[in-house]
Amino acid sequence: MTTLLLQASFYLLIIAMLLGFYRLAKGPTVVDRILAFDAVVMCAVGQVVLLSRLWETPHYLDLILIVSCLGFFGTVVFVYYLQRTLTVKSLPSTSEEVTRE
Amino acid sequence: MSEFWLFFSALLAFLGAVVVLISMIGLVRMPDVFCRAHAFGKGLTLGLALLFVGLWIDLGFENTGMKLVAAIVFQFITLPVASHLLARLSYEKKLPGSEVEDRGAGDSPVVREGSGPASPHPH
Repeated sequence: MTTLLLQASFYLLIIAMLLGFYRLAKGPTVVDRILAFDAVVMCAVGQVVLLSRLWETPHYLDLILIVSCLGFFGTVVFVYYLQRTLTVKSLPSTSEEVTRE
Repeated sequence: MSEFWLFFSALLAFLGAVVVLISMIGLVRMPDVFCRAHAFGKGLTLGLALLFVGLWIDLGFENTGMKLVAAIVFQFITLPVASHLLARLSYEKKLPGSEVEDRGAGDSPVVREGSGPASPHPH
């Protein structure tokens, strides 16, 4: 029963990662893509947690901390960059949005 | 480690995976960038916290120390902050998909900061 639950959680996290990749490819704006990428990184952290349970080793805890740190700081850097450079005119497929007041 | 605690930690991990999956379904199916940021911030925080608690019960305190508690606290701080930063960026830059009506309560409508010279107050 325990191994069944753990295998089911692996498959659920794989489906979650595929959904995140779908949003990453489809996302209408760059903000959706950053959000989806951060979500995919967090799903990868969940997979590392499950692998650490499977192999009964505490050696991956540093990996968990570092990967979640990298995901967060990547998001912060993207936002800091886009806050100065992003305009609606620079986005593709928003020609009707430019004329909006 | 008794059998019950193993099963309980596996159940916590399964619940965490289910919550993460629900959050990602929300990320795909929500219509708006604010709704997506909401689903991201809430669901992933709870799901990863459940996964970490399950791992903590499974490995035991002498193996993990305070690293998993630090990871849980870090997730609880950073994931809502990332969600809020992205929603705020989309709101300030008025990206497509973030056209919300500024619905104020009663006679005090909320004015968007930096929304140009157009004033919603005719009086």
